[in-house]
Amino acid sequence: MPHDVTVSGHRGFHEDTAAIVVGGLLVALALTVGWSARPTENAVSRKAFPKGWPNPLAATIDKPQTWDDSPTQAMSDKKGKPVTVPILLGMAWVVGVLAAGTALRGRSVAAVLPGAAALAVLGGLAYLLAAQKLVNHYNLEYPLWALLVGLVIGNTVGAPRWLAPALQGEFLIKAGLVVFGAEVLFSRLLELGLPGLLTSWVVTPIVLVATYWFGVYRMQIPSKSLCMVISADMSVCGVSAAIATGAACKAKKEELSLAIGLSLLFTVGMMVAMPPFIQWARIDPIVGGAWLGGTIDATGAVVAAGEMLGKELDDKRPAEVAATVKMIQNSMIGIIAFAVAVYWAGWVETGARGPRTSLAAEAWDRFPKFILGFVATSVVCSFLFTRSPENSLWVDGATLSFTSRLRGWLFCVGFVCMGIQTVFRELAPYLSSGRPLLLYVLGQCLNLALSLAMASLTFGWLFRKVVEP
Amino acid sequence: MIHPRLAGPLRLAACAGIVALTWLVVLPRVGRLPTIARHVRAMENRQVNPSAMVYTELERLPLRPDWAHEQIILWP
Repeated sequence: MPHDVTVSGHRGFHEDTAAIVVGGLLVALALTVGWSARPTENAVSRKAFPKGWPNPLAATIDKPQTWDDSPTQAMSDKKGKPVTVPILLGMAWVVGVLAAGTALRGRSVAAVLPGAAALAVLGGLAYLLAAQKLVNHYNLEYPLWALLVGLVIGNTVGAPRWLAPALQGEFLIKAGLVVFGAEVLFSRLLELGLPGLLTSWVVTPIVLVATYWFGVYRMQIPSKSLCMVISADMSVCGVSAAIATGAACKAKKEELSLAIGLSLLFTVGMMVAMPPFIQWARIDPIVGGAWLGGTIDATGAVVAAGEMLGKELDDKRPAEVAATVKMIQNSMIGIIAFAVAVYWAGWVETGARGPRTSLAAEAWDRFPKFILGFVATSVVCSFLFTRSPENSLWVDGATLSFTSRLRGWLFCVGFVCMGIQTVFRELAPYLSSGRPLLLYVLGQCLNLALSLAMASLTFGWLFRKVVEP
Repeated sequence: MIHPRLAGPLRLAACAGIVALTWLVVLPRVGRLPTIARHVRAMENRQVNPSAMVYTELERLPLRPDWAHEQIILWP
């Protein structure tokens, strides 16, 4: 794996390699601890452990809980159990990851610690803003507030000198993506059989490629990476897809921020408007559920819209189908990010080739290696998950109660770093042209039309009999 | 005339004030409007986490639905 030489002259790992090592070790730790603490009774019962085996590491990490009037409510969970210590430990995990990454890259850990601690606190503040009940229920996710917190600091007082060594947003996001791989399980793709697979796998790549092509070649948007990030977050699954593909095609901070903002804005509107429209248009509830799952960007908003639709019809199936279709799309992130990274390295970022270097060698040099870590954790956890019912509970326990929370913290603090390093002036050209917004709207229109057609074809006609109770 | 060294901290304080006012006063009040309060209560009763970014953050894991368990197969 490649090494780089730091300013101080110490040899260390490349940022991508450090992200793979740190992320991989964290996933391995979660699995090892989960296995060593496996239950002795009902170990294969999904009913006994709906979210997998309890993992002791869950006690070491949490985030501020939903609050209404006072932020102090965020320090206790729904059962009234205090979560202050797990929140502080969550911040400590971020500091630990930053310190480990810095050490692996051959840089001074001591210089990073004060800034890392401050960034972790700012990440906690972003989580606190996202946990306000109204904000939470309208799906305005933490990356938006993390960017906002960073932008406010970066564009008012600026980053003090002692904070600069810790501003490693890209490393945090890469390490977070390697950890995230453990949640991207290929076996989930088959949860709804062929109708689910067709709705997600046929429409999503078509919309992704068509939107990207339209943005680059028809609308002539100069930045290909901006077109790709907008296309991916709109067609796959919102913020998480934007983060993964943005890292795969090396999108600029401003581009990722813009794509996330667009996605969250439209998610809120679609979550509120689509369920009444489905009822008004008398679309079959299961077809409607699949349509919601295939079009609304964010997973939580899909479930909320499905529940709104099901509540009116007194039918739980729309929410179940919506959530499962979205979960299938979630499981595609690894494949899409890998494909984007290969395409970018091989066909987009083509520079002048040296006389003795082959095209493959050049492409390999440009390939973002951390994607291999992301895919590797996904493949390993998918393999373990499918081996037996016992193993599926083991993997679920490790991912649902530990790695997903850790990944959230790493993304959150990563976005704070990105916000601090983003200058408002650099966002202005993207906002003033209006073309990214138009691309999103056009792509979403295509997504809505194709998803409805495919959901009607599969859930409403081809497989109608098998989805009826 | 504001001293240039004070401009940044003053802008930060103004932003912090706006955020505090919005989150501590405006949003809780909007959340108490009957339509919105009803929606939030309904989602809470159904254990929905609308802010979930991916399926692993949902309150309930979307597993193959009971009604579809025996009926949906990969190939018809």
